[in-house]
Amino acid sequence: MNTQILTWLLAVPAVAALVILAFPRSWETGIRRFSVAAMLVELVLSLRLVFADYSGAGYNFVEHIAWVESFGISYKLGVDGFSLWLVVLTTALSPVALYASWGSVTKSIKEYAFSFLLLELGMLGAFLALDLFLFYVFWELMLVPMYLIIGVWGGKDRVYAAVKFFIYTMVGSLLMLVAVLYVVSSYEQLAGHYTFDLQELSNLVLPALPQYLCFSAFALAFAIKVPMFPFHTWLPDAHVQAPTGGSVILAAVLLKLGIYGFIRFAMPLFPVASQALGPVLAGLGIVGIIYGAYTAWVQRDLKKLIAYSSVSHMGFILLGLFAMNRTGISGAMLQMINHGISTGALFLLVGVIYDRRHTRMLDDFGGLAKVMPRYTLFFLIITMSSIGLPGTNGFIGEFMALAGTFFSRTPIGFGSSWFIMTLLATTGVIFAAVYMLHAVLRMFWGKVTHEENESLPDINSRETLAVLPLVVMVFWIGLYPKFFLDKMNPAVDSFVTDFTVRYYEGRRTSEARLVDFDELKARLEAAGELAMTERSEEEARR
Amino acid sequence: MHPETTQQLMLLLIILFPLGGAVFNGLAGRYLPKGLVTLVAVGSVAVSFVLAVLSFIELYGLSHDHGAGHAALVYHFYEWFSVKIPGGTVVPIDVRFTMDSLSGVMTLVVTGVGGLIHMYSVGYMGEDEGYPRFMSFLNLFMASMLILVLGSSVPVMFIGWEGVGLCSYLLIGFWYENRDYAAAGRKAFVVNRIGDFGVLIGMFILVGVAGSFEFADINQAAVNGQFQGDFPIWLFGMAPSLATVACLFLFLGCTGKSAQIPLYVWLPDAMAGPTPVSALIHAATMVTAGVYLCCRLSPLFITSDVAMSVIAVTGTLTALLAASIAVVQREMKKILAYSTVSQLGFMFAAVGVGFFAAGFFHVFTHAFFKACLFLGAGSVMHAVHAHGDADIFKLGGMRKYMPTTRWTFLASCLAIAGFPLTSGFFSKDEILLGAAAQIYRGDDPLIHGVGWFVLIGLTLAAVMTAFYMFRLYFLTFTGEYRSADQSGAHPYDAHPHESPASMTIPLMVLGTGALVVGFLGLPHVLPITGTHLDQWSWWGHWMHSSVAGQPVPEELHIVNLASGLAFGAMAIGISAAWVLYRNKSEDLLQQKIPARLYQLAFDKWRVDELYAATIVNPIKKVATVAGHADMTFVDALMTKLPSFNVRESGRVLARMQNGVVQMYGAVMIVGLVGVMAWYWTPHSSIQAEFDGKSVALSTPPGLGYEYRWDANSDGDFETEWSGTPSTSFEYGDDDIRGVAVFIINSQSGATKRVEVGEEWVSLPLESVIPAEFISAQDSGFEVRVDGRDILFRKPFARTKGMGSKEIRLPMGSHGRLGSARVVGRPLVEATLEVRNAFGNARVTTKEIALPFDTESPAHASLTRPRDEVFR
Repeated sequence: MNTQILTWLLAVPAVAALVILAFPRSWETGIRRFSVAAMLVELVLSLRLVFADYSGAGYNFVEHIAWVESFGISYKLGVDGFSLWLVVLTTALSPVALYASWGSVTKSIKEYAFSFLLLELGMLGAFLALDLFLFYVFWELMLVPMYLIIGVWGGKDRVYAAVKFFIYTMVGSLLMLVAVLYVVSSYEQLAGHYTFDLQELSNLVLPALPQYLCFSAFALAFAIKVPMFPFHTWLPDAHVQAPTGGSVILAAVLLKLGIYGFIRFAMPLFPVASQALGPVLAGLGIVGIIYGAYTAWVQRDLKKLIAYSSVSHMGFILLGLFAMNRTGISGAMLQMINHGISTGALFLLVGVIYDRRHTRMLDDFGGLAKVMPRYTLFFLIITMSSIGLPGTNGFIGEFMALAGTFFSRTPIGFGSSWFIMTLLATTGVIFAAVYMLHAVLRMFWGKVTHEENESLPDINSRETLAVLPLVVMVFWIGLYPKFFLDKMNPAVDSFVTDFTVRYYEGRRTSEARLVDFDELKARLEAAGELAMTERSEEEARR
Repeated sequence: MHPETTQQLMLLLIILFPLGGAVFNGLAGRYLPKGLVTLVAVGSVAVSFVLAVLSFIELYGLSHDHGAGHAALVYHFYEWFSVKIPGGTVVPIDVRFTMDSLSGVMTLVVTGVGGLIHMYSVGYMGEDEGYPRFMSFLNLFMASMLILVLGSSVPVMFIGWEGVGLCSYLLIGFWYENRDYAAAGRKAFVVNRIGDFGVLIGMFILVGVAGSFEFADINQAAVNGQFQGDFPIWLFGMAPSLATVACLFLFLGCTGKSAQIPLYVWLPDAMAGPTPVSALIHAATMVTAGVYLCCRLSPLFITSDVAMSVIAVTGTLTALLAASIAVVQREMKKILAYSTVSQLGFMFAAVGVGFFAAGFFHVFTHAFFKACLFLGAGSVMHAVHAHGDADIFKLGGMRKYMPTTRWTFLASCLAIAGFPLTSGFFSKDEILLGAAAQIYRGDDPLIHGVGWFVLIGLTLAAVMTAFYMFRLYFLTFTGEYRSADQSGAHPYDAHPHESPASMTIPLMVLGTGALVVGFLGLPHVLPITGTHLDQWSWWGHWMHSSVAGQPVPEELHIVNLASGLAFGAMAIGISAAWVLYRNKSEDLLQQKIPARLYQLAFDKWRVDELYAATIVNPIKKVATVAGHADMTFVDALMTKLPSFNVRESGRVLARMQNGVVQMYGAVMIVGLVGVMAWYWTPHSSIQAEFDGKSVALSTPPGLGYEYRWDANSDGDFETEWSGTPSTSFEYGDDDIRGVAVFIINSQSGATKRVEVGEEWVSLPLESVIPAEFISAQDSGFEVRVDGRDILFRKPFARTKGMGSKEIRLPMGSHGRLGSARVVGRPLVEATLEVRNAFGNARVTTKEIALPFDTESPAHASLTRPRDEVFR
């Protein structure tokens, strides 16, 4: 079973989803318990992945089966330092989100459970796939259940939000498909056979222009998913309309697929374009940090506020990612997990209050600290995590992403704009405090202004059970992040080296060609030239 | 700089006890009896204090063996995380605690004063329904403050730095049902965050240079001069040193935490918190964190004259501004709050003139008298049942009702005013001595000017300090109790009473401290007599080597100048207050100065309003606009516009599919006419292929086309009209019409033609080679064509012998420039005439650059290929 664990990971939700279909519609308790149980089994299974050796560069638990041989499509899965924690994040938050949903979702719960399991399958598949075709299949697969979750179980304007979400994401991914096909056919012209295998395709070096075009196509798909300013306008609508569970998954996992797509596919395949356009994307990330914070500040709907705070947080992640050094990328990777935890928890907490009051407007609250002290404590802890207070998880990610930006002075990275980028991005830590504490002030402090709020029950044990694991994670990552970073650092280190080598090969080329990068890297390493990754700009010039 | 260290678990326990107390009371306190809550809260701090004393004794012993500052206790807990800096070094961030002479004293102050204030809180807050929560927050504050003090690296200190900020936020807004209080808490947090921005950037600069986050390593790097280099980015056209930029960013953090201009505005509002909070957090400990950080990194700060001057001037200005506000305020805690801001200004002024030990000595003495003053104020408010704050014009005569409070308050007032032999006398004297010493140091006009400014400014501030403190004292404790007859608006309780023992004991301890702790810092040289007292200055000796600083002057006239000014300021201030306020009940000052000025000072110079108008409101406006624009403009641009386009173009296209056959017919005819028009005249283009000897010319074939070729465009068609769309030709020397210049990337073969004529143009190497692969030697060439040769020159060459010498490259020869080759190829022109079935003809010509490497007989007359290396 060890060798096929990734297949098992995909099989459990798939089979469970099918089994759910066989459940009688009236047996609601059974459906609820079975679906959550299946996801918990999945979580336990995925924990096996943590206990593997990630000190090397390659993939663990690789499975490779030919699928459509004539087109080089294969069923290839693997997990490395990049995908490991995202997989665990997915398996951990899916049961939490589903469990939390069972308090509020009462109609068509069979279909809801089915959609959720399918969604988990799609997300895990996308994180695990090492074949571009397979990735695309899973990437599109997850759209459908999310579309249904928003469109069927959502709020008042759910259909509009669902369609907007679907079309927005679809447009991006179609262009990505075109780019994938271009890459595959370029490869075929040189190698004589088709392949969608990421590792084989990575040996293809494209000249600048096709790199720019393909990278842009990939980047559009991923940037929409992230979402990066100005492609973010689907997010507030989707979040506001989605049910609590949908919001949690959307914020915690789905957005991460955008960043993951950059790091897994777009950047290694098109390094020259990535380096040229990376600072631009990071710049848009900074705009997102500040703009997201500003817009979050003036929102009156709590869910919208958190949605815009996501835009702001994802800005830090983009920034760290394109800093192109270990500190920045590790920080971005960790911040993805952190954002998943803290924003996921925030949406859960909003769900708690929404179930009681059926409103999310800040104006309808005030003085809740008096009525719901335990709820206030949870909300404050998560707020501090979101603000990035040292000791909580948010600090580590933000700190590393900013430090990565500050030290991104090599030709690969931000070059001479490192300082201004750091300055602008760091103002984000101020604005985060402004909008989050604004929300806290409006919700919890002051006198109880609405009669309806005076007798609200505090957070109950079911809701506590859902939030508590996330609070534990807030402090675990905040106090001992090394456990998580140690598993991703080797992958990040080798990513940076690979990227550098690929980048310089790409710069030297004027027509598409194949390069055996393993061999090249070995040669460069023997010559002691791999160290150039870390050389400063001045040294590189010399 | 690296002291001898000993591993000591106690350092961790000092922090863990209050932390455990905070968690325990925070989670379970509500369900437990008050006695247990008190036991845990006060007990944990008491244990922490005992451990701190034990550690300090051990440190003292070690220092005896190795010399003060050369010994430290450390506790390495675990590795937190790491960052990789340029050069590939992985810098670990360890959770490690260090107690050296500086942090040792601070730990004692924090746990000692903190313990007393915990004890005081039992009496003061015991009746509040949020008592367990309050004690939990206080414990959490203690833990955070101890992390701040004991943390041995900047990020670990930053945990405490932000932790105390969080506690401050929670405790200012402790009575959260009052939304103004909660808003004051938020203001404190946000303003502090502005400072944290500076600390973060400063921290990055430090680690980038020193390659370590540890204070000891950073200081060592500063001593080694590593921070003397220029900052890599020019700011405002200047090239400041690394030390200057790092220190200024760190100082921004200090202005936030320690309430200096421009970020001091949160501290007066912070008085919304319960009085013990004001005493502990907003007077004795947290707000001095900025001074502590400067002392911690004193070897770094002292290397930057610019940063030091900024700090000195900021501190002095803050001292003056806050004192001028305190002079006219009516409420006890507000006066004390501005007094705190002002005293913090004194400390930073000391730091700025390089008297770090003196600044920190003032932190130490200030902790005693200011905590005592706040607790005294709290005791008075407790006695008269004043909520929030107490208006001194409604008080008076308190000495009758509460003697203990009165005497301890008086002792502290004397100390803060700098009455001889009290603690404040010694510490303030030392600060003025630092300013005076700066005037006599060196001949840099900046240093001199700053020295004079600080000396005069602080003397004025000292006058005001003595004045407003005794104004406060006289109005509160002397005369008659003005609320006794219950006349006037909102009078206080008519029958005040002395506070319980749990409140008076801390007052007595702190009041005694305020009088005596100054003897730890007896000056080196006594004024007037000039007696040298080296053996007495325990403080200077103890701090000597863990804190850098300018030398303490021995010259008697400097010492006399400083103490003369300090004594004079104190005397003038107290006398003025005596005359104006002793046994008085109204504000005589108000009648003596212009009403406008008084009002302006009373309104705190309207700085909050200024910030609101210039910073807060504009940002808020931008945010509001952004909030609206996002759902309208941005969404319209990114979503609505594309969807509109799709929908409308769909609508137009749909209209055409309307089923009317006439319409379809009309469209068909338009299409047919278009096709006919295209076919009416022939179309052609010429392609050339080289097979080594001859050139194959071809054109895409067209139905019914006939072709004839004039391959060298000499007017004679070599072929007759025929249906074959291709021909072959061997060009000779005579056919060559010119030369085409190409640049080739030797590695990849990328080729680019350069448009060159008789005029000089620069050679665009970067069109085939990435800019970073072009060496300086290879760039900057100019090129032109001369007959069949290519000429090169390098007009700006600085290389010896190059000058503007021209190099001639015959056609066909390859010139090498690094990894690029330049070659001139013979240019010929081909002509093709095509005619179609309608009899219409068209002539097409094309320039063809012949490859010259071919061993073609036709080219034999030309000399060939000899590579030439330029430079």
